[in-house]
Amino acid sequence: MVNLFKKELSYYFNNPIGYIIAILFAVFANFLFIKDLFLRGDSSMRPFFDILPWLFLIFISALTMRIFAEERRVNTIEVLLTLPISETTIVVAKLFALLIFSGFILLLSLSIPLTLMAIGKPHLLEIIMAYGGVFLLSASFISVSIFFSSLAKNQIVAFLCSVLTIFLLMVVGGDFLAFFIPRFIQENLNFFSPLYHYSNFLKGLVDLRSVVYFISFTMLFVFLTVINLEKRE
Amino acid sequence: MIVLDKVSKFFGEKKALDDVSFKVKEGEIIGFVGPNGAGKTTTMRVIVGYLKPTAGEVTIDEKNPIDDRIDVLKQIGYLAENNPLYLEMKVSEYLNFITSIKDDRENLHSLKKQTGIEEIWQSKIEELSRGYKQRVGLAAALIGDPKILILDEPTSGLDPIEQEKIRNLIKTLGKKKTIILSTHILPEVEDVATRVIIIDKGKIVYDGAKPKRRGEVERLFKRLIK
Repeated sequence: MVNLFKKELSYYFNNPIGYIIAILFAVFANFLFIKDLFLRGDSSMRPFFDILPWLFLIFISALTMRIFAEERRVNTIEVLLTLPISETTIVVAKLFALLIFSGFILLLSLSIPLTLMAIGKPHLLEIIMAYGGVFLLSASFISVSIFFSSLAKNQIVAFLCSVLTIFLLMVVGGDFLAFFIPRFIQENLNFFSPLYHYSNFLKGLVDLRSVVYFISFTMLFVFLTVINLEKRE
Repeated sequence: MIVLDKVSKFFGEKKALDDVSFKVKEGEIIGFVGPNGAGKTTTMRVIVGYLKPTAGEVTIDEKNPIDDRIDVLKQIGYLAENNPLYLEMKVSEYLNFITSIKDDRENLHSLKKQTGIEEIWQSKIEELSRGYKQRVGLAAALIGDPKILILDEPTSGLDPIEQEKIRNLIKTLGKKKTIILSTHILPEVEDVATRVIIIDKGKIVYDGAKPKRRGEVERLFKRLIK
């Protein structure tokens, strides 16, 4: 698994596409936070962490869309699936490589807490917890995108399906749904939304249910991807 | 031994393989020939477990390439049709990657020599000529010292000199390995194979020893394929 992980990771570090996505993310994330920093007048990173899932919705899907779709297009998937390694190993290695690269992208947002520390007194533990939440959130987003990339031969189709699915999951527990459905249903649906669980981390809490949710969510989509690869149709 | 027992494969409504059965004994070199779209590549893909048969069974030394895929794939070297490669990688990176997965460091040095890729070892795969790409694909298939080689159109698109080199390499390899060589180049079969299987429209239409007379495979092919 380590060798495949290294190969996948080196693709992103040796290819302009990885850096383009990383730089675009850094520009957007830093700009969207800094533009209102002095208007807000506090040193909380909460506004940054609030917009992060929406940025990840686009950036993670863009980063991941090629992971299987490109292999299908140029048929290297045939090389991969006729090597003596299991489908689970292939999917997990790709997931970890993307997770590490997402971690690298997140490092580019460290300028924000460093700036805040220079001009104020941000709550460091809260920031660390929130980054932990971002890490789990990105694992779940990556797993959805990997699944759609394994289904599609076209990267754009994979990207659009991934964005739409993650978007629907994000808004499934949103307050606006209470206009259309009974309150108790909306509250129960809320539990299925990654945003609901992510928000627990933003409060500086580590809710075990949320950790289990993200791990189960990621494993479910890894499992679905493995099933899809095993179909051999 | 490789056994295909009444293997059929459908793609939707289209029948790509129709009740295909044959056995390949150890040490045989099979020339698997047929016109375009006859089912050669599908057969190769079913043997290596890349495709699941719709009906029938494939076994390699009594193991199923789908259920026991890791064990089976350790015994097989496979050169897929059109030789898909990770073009962004260097030859060294690609073959080291395959080596690490097949866990076979010892043979890499001799393979470089055998396949004639020493001089392009540090080149990017996308910059290589078709002939060199084919050699890299062949080297990748040979890593792990597999007992069985499945080669799908290994000389397709190469110039006559490159074709000759690859063919000689296959002949050398055939002294130690079981080989299934899928091709539509009939002289290649006459040159290399010990047995000929002809497939047309998903059905086996001929399975027998290679005719001794030069040009006989072509005559047989023209007679059987309408």
